[in-house]
Amino acid sequence: MSMNVQPDLDFIKDMKAAGGDTLKKCFQCATCSVVCPLSSDDNPFPRREMILAQWGLKDKLVGDPNILLCHQCGDCTTYCPRGAKPGDVLGAIRAYAYKFYGWPAGLAKLASSGKNMPMLIGIPAVVILVMWLISGGLHIPSTEQFAHAGYGHFFGHWDFRLLAKNVFFIDLIMLPSAGLAVFASYKGISAMWKAMSENAGVGEALYKPSIPQFIKEFLWPAIVEIVQHNRFRECTTNADRVRGHLPLMWAFMALFFVTVYSAFAQDMLGIFIPSLHGPMSLWNPVKILANVAAIALVVGTGILWGNRSQMEMDGQASRTFYDWFLIWMIMGVGVTGIGAELFRLIGIASVGYVTYYLHLVSVMMLFLYMPYTKFAHLVYRTFAMAFERYRDSAYVKNPLNEG
Amino acid sequence: MSDTAGNGAVLVVGGGISGLTAALEAAEVGNEVYLIDKNSYFGGRVAQLNQYFPKLCPPTCGLEINFKRVKDNRKIRAYSMTTVKSVSGEAGNFEVTLETAPRYVNSNCTACGDCAEVCTDEIDNAFNFGMNKTKAIYLPHEMAFPRRFVLDKEACSAECLDAIKGACKYNAIDTEMTAKSFTVNVSSIIWATGWNPYDASKLDNLKPDSSSAIITNMMMERMAADNGPTAGKILRPGDDKEPESFGFVQCAGSRDENHLEHCSYICCMATFKQITYIRERYPEAKIYVFYIDLRTPGKYEHFREKLMDDANIEFIKGKVADIIAEEDGGVTMVAENAVTGAKIQQKVDLCILATGMQPALGEAGKALGVAMDGNGFVVSEPEKGMIAAGCAKSAVDVYTSGQSSTAAALKAIQIGR
Repeated sequence: MSMNVQPDLDFIKDMKAAGGDTLKKCFQCATCSVVCPLSSDDNPFPRREMILAQWGLKDKLVGDPNILLCHQCGDCTTYCPRGAKPGDVLGAIRAYAYKFYGWPAGLAKLASSGKNMPMLIGIPAVVILVMWLISGGLHIPSTEQFAHAGYGHFFGHWDFRLLAKNVFFIDLIMLPSAGLAVFASYKGISAMWKAMSENAGVGEALYKPSIPQFIKEFLWPAIVEIVQHNRFRECTTNADRVRGHLPLMWAFMALFFVTVYSAFAQDMLGIFIPSLHGPMSLWNPVKILANVAAIALVVGTGILWGNRSQMEMDGQASRTFYDWFLIWMIMGVGVTGIGAELFRLIGIASVGYVTYYLHLVSVMMLFLYMPYTKFAHLVYRTFAMAFERYRDSAYVKNPLNEG
Repeated sequence: MSDTAGNGAVLVVGGGISGLTAALEAAEVGNEVYLIDKNSYFGGRVAQLNQYFPKLCPPTCGLEINFKRVKDNRKIRAYSMTTVKSVSGEAGNFEVTLETAPRYVNSNCTACGDCAEVCTDEIDNAFNFGMNKTKAIYLPHEMAFPRRFVLDKEACSAECLDAIKGACKYNAIDTEMTAKSFTVNVSSIIWATGWNPYDASKLDNLKPDSSSAIITNMMMERMAADNGPTAGKILRPGDDKEPESFGFVQCAGSRDENHLEHCSYICCMATFKQITYIRERYPEAKIYVFYIDLRTPGKYEHFREKLMDDANIEFIKGKVADIIAEEDGGVTMVAENAVTGAKIQQKVDLCILATGMQPALGEAGKALGVAMDGNGFVVSEPEKGMIAAGCAKSAVDVYTSGQSSTAAALKAIQIGR
């Protein structure tokens, strides 16, 4: 009997492109699984993932929570006797998984390669430019106007008091982008959860947790752990990355709050209290929070930027588009955001408007590509950590049913 | 000594089993041979073993006959404590400067031992990897050849030196001795510089210094040897406990690009051999062997098969990557069993690191014009009169060293004729 083996060349190509080209060097000594500070006794990684990747068993990998439990501290890579860089390989598998689960597939594929950078920047740049044109707001305001309205009239102004023109256009751009990201994340997580359940042999559970139970018992503890960065810290070599990632995460949460608040205050309450419109005072507590968060965002990203460069120089990590694209996008959002604010404060409308345009472009990129780039770890890792808890819970491991 | 130029004289650097073999093979067909060793004795690593392959002989078995052949052969001039300082010339006509370090004991010595009786200062016994002490004037080991004491002058107080001198009936102690350089002219050089056990302290994740229950396989050889620090008993250093369980860490530093990139070839067999030492002394002891692959080439397969039948030995496919010192003096070895996919934490009384072979010549060799590969092994260049033998050439066992040394001698005697 002959067997026709069809190696999945695309998978291997993806691994190579995302920095996992060293995976074939692994000789399965399992040093990595022991030196990994996060690897558990019953489900150690990344030795198993290395051989699955060598064998091209991508279906097993995309349904393996371990690939997301890894925080890529690089201890495995440091101690690997073969230079197989398991840390990088797991990063590459994650990149593959985001693409695998990404919907629509075309956009996911687009966002996975550095060769598409012109398109990746081009789409939001054109969309926003066209909106800017349509809105009729595409001109530089006078110094007085700029001082009064800031970027509030970027897309122009109309007298319909229930919905400002600017808000209308920003919503028109950002809501579909964010909506797509949410929907794509939902689809991806559902598919991942199904694959993980199948892989872990979770059959038809007699009792399934209700949504509140699921949130309370699995999702919320995972989120708490993420916010506290406990697992990240267990990677002791990662101390520097925690120093960058922690302020960055808090900055994102603070900016999310600020955005929601200002949408509520300006666009809802503002309907009745017109004075809430326009730029906030620098001494407004919310504005202080926003500014602190913006600085934390840039500083945190800067630390991560430096760490990654250092890791690459030391041969601890390979240089990949997957890792850098997110750093660039967030840095773009932070720098253009702070820049736009500074130009508003010193009153240079022309440069300010261009910077604000770039800010909108980079924010739209962040929303649009969230489910497919490294940013996707935000949702996928959270649910993998919830699955890790679910896998060991009484819903799955009913001691009465075991035997 | 230019009388030997161009007439096929051979310099053999290193007097272990390979160097002895190469020197004898060359001399016994009529070539002049200079045999040097940096140690105060000949016999090298084999002298330190309890038993060696292929027939599990004690080292006396192979070395004594070779020492006798060296002594009886007028063509061989043997120099202990001697190293190569410089090499000039070319194949067929080398001029080599050698330097003999001061032994502080001259050839009058009869190894009567009276000096050691009165010596009050002690040093770590290097032959036993520091597991015991020896007097500062000492015979390197029981069957040391040349059979002559060595004085560690730096370790001795002035009174101690006076006492040693006073005790010697043969006027053999010469504390004024200095390093002596001399030049030899040879046609070829055989590098039989052998190996050092890889420095276990570099294996930082295994923390070998954290517990005296972690030893190396060469320490195990010394303990198992009748002339070793424990007179043949296998005991845990520190508390001298008779271990009830043993764990072997294979590839400790070998096949690892952070340490020795090459497979050291002998460590798997050394572990199997040491299992027989354990079984002779502790028939019921539990033994755990953690490995990546078990490499037992050729006829050694049978040896492996026989030992793998032992129900009290567990073989675990997975490299030990962490060792935790325990309060009772034992250690816990941590690995992932790559067959079951679960982590294993095995506590043992004594843990043996199967450390590999690091080529001993090192960087110093490059300065002397020796070609080396990326792992530090000497690359033979017979056309340049530089020939490698034994473990200087590649990581091999005694039997293969014999073959490669004979081959090296055959190359050497064809140069300069």
